[in-house]
Amino acid sequence: MKKLSNMFAAGWVQGAIPPALLVLLIIVVEIGSPGFLTGETLGLLLGNTAVLFILATGVTFVILIGGIDLSIQAVASLASVILAQLLPSIGPLAFPVAIASGLVFGILSGVVHVRLRVPSFVATLATGGVVAGMALLFAQGRAITIEEGGRLSTTWINGTVVGVPVVAILAAIVGLISFMALRYTRFGRHSLAVGAGEPAALAAGINVDRTKIIAFAISGTLAAIAGVILAARLSSGSPSLANQLLLPAIAAVIVGGTAITGGLGGVARTAVGALIISIVRIGMTFVGVNIFAENVVFGAVLIIAVAITIDRSKIPVIK
Amino acid sequence: MSINSETMKPVTNLERTSAMHAAFSRFFQGEGARRLRTFAPLIVLIVLCILITLANPNFIEPRNLIRIANSSAVPLTLAMGMTFIILMGSIDLSVEGALSVAAMVLVLLASNDANTNEYGWLAVIAAIAASTLIGLMNGIIQTVLRIPSFMATLGVWFIGLGTSVYMLGGSAVRLMDNSIRSLALERFLGFPFAVWVALAAFGLAVIIQYHTRLGRHILAIGGGEDVAELSGVNLKRVRITAFAVAGFFFGIAGVLAAAQLGQSNAVIADGRLFAAVTAVVVGGTALTGGEGGVLNTLVGVLIVTVLANGMVLLGISPYIQQTVQGLMIIAAVALSLDRLRLKIVK
Repeated sequence: MKKLSNMFAAGWVQGAIPPALLVLLIIVVEIGSPGFLTGETLGLLLGNTAVLFILATGVTFVILIGGIDLSIQAVASLASVILAQLLPSIGPLAFPVAIASGLVFGILSGVVHVRLRVPSFVATLATGGVVAGMALLFAQGRAITIEEGGRLSTTWINGTVVGVPVVAILAAIVGLISFMALRYTRFGRHSLAVGAGEPAALAAGINVDRTKIIAFAISGTLAAIAGVILAARLSSGSPSLANQLLLPAIAAVIVGGTAITGGLGGVARTAVGALIISIVRIGMTFVGVNIFAENVVFGAVLIIAVAITIDRSKIPVIK
Repeated sequence: MSINSETMKPVTNLERTSAMHAAFSRFFQGEGARRLRTFAPLIVLIVLCILITLANPNFIEPRNLIRIANSSAVPLTLAMGMTFIILMGSIDLSVEGALSVAAMVLVLLASNDANTNEYGWLAVIAAIAASTLIGLMNGIIQTVLRIPSFMATLGVWFIGLGTSVYMLGGSAVRLMDNSIRSLALERFLGFPFAVWVALAAFGLAVIIQYHTRLGRHILAIGGGEDVAELSGVNLKRVRITAFAVAGFFFGIAGVLAAAQLGQSNAVIADGRLFAAVTAVVVGGTALTGGEGGVLNTLVGVLIVTVLANGMVLLGISPYIQQTVQGLMIIAAVALSLDRLRLKIVK
């Protein structure tokens, strides 16, 4: 065991483990159910991963600064409700409004965390409750179907461009911009610095508070985008639409190899992590796991995946 | 070294001092203020009770108080287990998995409408044992595989929930054992037995925290793991035991929940995790570990339950109850956290 972990400790090997796991999983599913690697299923896979990936990308920013955002499911659901409510009256303008709501509540989470100095776990748990309540209020507690009229402006999301689902392209654009923002902007470098060591970042003159609030704002905005896409795909908005997506999104970030303590990781790793999560989910159906037992397999694979991919040399104390 | 810390301090103060923060620290300075902060959750609870009573006197009727006690029973038992984990600075997300496994084992072994088992109270013991095993599994996965508890227990949550859904075949199974059902239906001194069981669990938790070595070691680990290790605390053993103890409490809660509901199904545990964490945190236990305890959690559970009950009495729309609860959490935590000690807030 010791020897094995020593072998994994070399930097580049550690970074290569999640992609290797992804390839391995694809091979396992392909062997278990030949025909998995056809264009149609791959399109389906990418389409299904898109929403999870966008949510996970948002959380990546927050986890990188050493925090956590538990409000994304509520923000995504609220965005879906706003979209479904407003599409009939103001048409495509509903998109920016819904996404702006995510921005606002992301900033709110950030401000509560930074100004009131409430730990992000509690702060976002609370703002998540606030947002979920508002979604329930706006929707009067029910799911809202997007009617024929509104569906005209959402059909493009469900289409394909030369065989690739539009949602996958949207996810790729979001991923690319986030990747650039993290790697080539001052904000990106500051985020990594804050996550790696807050006192050092402060001493270096980084505006820690602003960096944190921006990270939460991005997380909220991306959560709202994910909620809008989800609403367009399902042709409905509901206060509980994204409730099952919070923990898989966080799992995607960690399985991809981003350290939960912050300061190490990135969007590319999250993309791999999201694909791993989604292949395990879809693969179980292909391989023929009993539908009631799917969660058992998923939980076990999750633990194994984290045990393999996590970089222990960067985490001083495992809590 | 000293030069470094000297130059860092002014920067920290400069960056951190906002008007609101200054106001906070003026209120919460010195030893007296420190005690005030410790009692902040209790004060919140009392003020809440007074306000609700003023708005609707029905609140302090015995019938309503019994109702509050009854709906606190399961959250209190769950939160007892959760407190120990959070005191260590870890988190246990497997609450819902452990609870649903306990409920599933109980219902399938006691007399029910799905099979012919009739083990009676042995089923209760088996249910609690199953849940304790799940806690043990959490501890072993976390310490042996060296995975953060957040991820280890997330995986175990899915495993537990999946197992119970698989065993129940995706449907609801009714609990037909009358003596177990009487936990929820029969009363002693006006309160249902479930309330007494929850109080016994609370008593046990108090003993574990204040009168055993395990309790002190848990606090020591939460206060500073490296220091605890240097003082000779066996980290692995304490962690694994703490997770098993938490599983034990979740098991009791599972039995109570199944008895109250009269059945076990796939959604019996829905929402229990966040309710438990909310209660612990509102009570004033810090998520960073080492501060707070089961007494705080008792107050936290009561705050959450009283608030929920009060909102129903005041006729507040059920849709915005979550919003009010969220604001409440922020207020309670913002008031009770000792910010001078928590230099870095994550």
